[in-house]
Amino acid sequence: MAYLTQPDFVRYVCSCGQLKPITNLYFCRHCLKIRCGFCICHEVDSHYCANCLENMPSSEARLKKNRCSSCFDCPSCFHTLSTRATFAQTRQDPAAGDAKVENKQAKKMYYLSCFNCRWTSRDVGIPDQPVASGGWPERPNPFSARINQLLDYYKAIAQQEKQEKLDRERKKFAIRGKYITLTDKTGLTGAMARNIAGLPSSESSSSAIANFVPSVASAEVEELPEDYHLREINLKQVTTMAQRLASPEWQPASVARLHPVARPLSVKRSQRCRACDHNLTKPEYNPGSIKFKIELLAFYHMPEVKIISHESVKPGQQSALLLKVSNPTSHEMALRLLPPDHQAETETDETTETHEKNEPKSIEKSLEKSLNLEKDTTWSKVIERKPQMPALSQICIPEVTLTLAQRDDAAEYDDDPQHDTSDIILWRKSNKLALRLKVSTDPSAEVGQPAQVALSLQYSYRNTVPPSAQSAQHRDHTLTTTVLLDLGTVCE
Amino acid sequence: MAQNIKILPGATVCEDCTLEGDITIGGGTVVHPRVTIIAEGGPIIIAEYCIIEEYSTIIHKKSDKQENPPKPLFIGAHNVFEVGCKLESPFGHIGESNVFECKSYVGVDVKIGSGCVIGAACQLTVPQSLPDNTVIWGSEHHNREALEKQPSQLLQLDFLSKVMPNYHRLRKPNLHKRQPSRPSQEGAKV
Ligand SMILES: [Zn+2]
Ligand SMILES: [Zn+2]
Ligand SMILES: [Zn+2]
Ligand SMILES: [Zn+2]
Repeated sequence: MAYLTQPDFVRYVCSCGQLKPITNLYFCRHCLKIRCGFCICHEVDSHYCANCLENMPSSEARLKKNRCSSCFDCPSCFHTLSTRATFAQTRQDPAAGDAKVENKQAKKMYYLSCFNCRWTSRDVGIPDQPVASGGWPERPNPFSARINQLLDYYKAIAQQEKQEKLDRERKKFAIRGKYITLTDKTGLTGAMARNIAGLPSSESSSSAIANFVPSVASAEVEELPEDYHLREINLKQVTTMAQRLASPEWQPASVARLHPVARPLSVKRSQRCRACDHNLTKPEYNPGSIKFKIELLAFYHMPEVKIISHESVKPGQQSALLLKVSNPTSHEMALRLLPPDHQAETETDETTETHEKNEPKSIEKSLEKSLNLEKDTTWSKVIERKPQMPALSQICIPEVTLTLAQRDDAAEYDDDPQHDTSDIILWRKSNKLALRLKVSTDPSAEVGQPAQVALSLQYSYRNTVPPSAQSAQHRDHTLTTTVLLDLGTVCE
Repeated sequence: MAQNIKILPGATVCEDCTLEGDITIGGGTVVHPRVTIIAEGGPIIIAEYCIIEEYSTIIHKKSDKQENPPKPLFIGAHNVFEVGCKLESPFGHIGESNVFECKSYVGVDVKIGSGCVIGAACQLTVPQSLPDNTVIWGSEHHNREALEKQPSQLLQLDFLSKVMPNYHRLRKPNLHKRQPSRPSQEGAKV
């Protein structure tokens, strides 16, 4: 049960140990594991402006400092500014007489206005523009020279470190004497290779480092004006912290100095399984489209559990729990309920095997790997954790295997429930199943503490990935997932 | 309650709205259907060129400290009452060119100057007086001071007064002589 405005009553345990509602989870069809936003690789596909939907490559976005050149945000409330047109009477001195009548045709002038807080570009004295888009005055950054200097410096340092690492790596292989490096083979020197690769030569980068002047802290601070503590302040004239931080270049202290903020770009993002490098989601390129080319959401592949209702949980007593389980896949699903500590051991063995298989690789690969921090595979050990399972309340697990029919959109329309009910099955309707379960609570449970129960589901899953040439994948799998149900608080 | 609804020529007032008590509606003002205006504590005078949208409520509340005869609630020209807003004011004066955005609420004992904007769903319940050109917005009731008054809605008014008669039954203006917009002008009634 996961909704926008409600707390998450049912949470699934991701393969990394995070607890997430099913709507926040992905399912890798290649690893057959649940993945969540925490344990997958996020990649930027394209940059676009969410207001005008202009698409741009990342190089251009970087050049524009990841901001749209034609859209602005309100500096006062951060809502998008709209362009408004006015008919400006061309100002003429009264002596002009007849010319005034002829020139009655008003000129269209444009200004920016916020529909939320009604801030306008006129409020801070930005003159109206004769064209609808573009041409708004830009305020120069007073520290641009220093920032560029710093950027050059850090770029040079990064360049140098990369170079050193590359050299070290090459030396390592040279000592072994077993492999021929690219430079040995072709007679290229390091400088030439750098030139070909379009990287700046080491001399220029060292000059940027040598010429850099670090900033010096100074004890001398400008004196505050005499009346600083005595002057009455008008809070409407003072900007808020958020308003100042929205334009870090100027950090205006007075509302009269607010300036439209160029709208930050949004990104289209694709997500990738870290273990097998397959895409989990890939959006369509067009920023106007909200569809996906690849969309492996857990919602489409795993049995979904919802709480219909439950009796309040009391220490030392049993309470009824009604669950609804639905099968979103287009194949029949066999379902077994298991106690939560029953983790699937077989699956973990498989993955370690594949890791070992991947180990022996060519030097190029290992060289690349050592240069590329993101490809580090130790991540899984770092982030993986065991979620804490509630122990005080337990579900009495019935020893049955249930079958869930495949999803059938047409079945929505016939509404007589099938009558194969039992003491566990409350009702059954196309791919949905209502279960009547019992929760027993330990007498030591404290009143007022959150009442939670865990439950593992073992379900059959048919893989619909077309089998690749190398690996003969079997299509039917038995997978296990653990859900955590939130049953309010322990009552008296 | 004595019904005394005065509609000046040029006003567009839909029939499907609740008007109770002593109410004067100025010329050029448009009152949408389903509007509630109740003058229980004293007369309500709405000046020219106001827009009062659907489901908005204007109440002149009865109060204990009322003067006798009761002071009218005077609503200045060019005010815009957006859909579902509510104004409960037992006293005084609402300036001109104010905007009461959708679902906003202005309670008792709030004085409103001119050119103010009460943002959507903003609730003013504490006794206060808003200086001219105050803009209030957002769930946290941020406020700022606008440089100039809100632009007038004359184009919109023009459009509404042309379109409204095609789709709604209207109340006929019952005052024929143009009045200066001043409170309590009983004599001019024809
Ligand atoms: Zn995860
Ligand atoms: Zn844009
Ligand atoms: Zn704004
Ligand atoms: Zn995977």
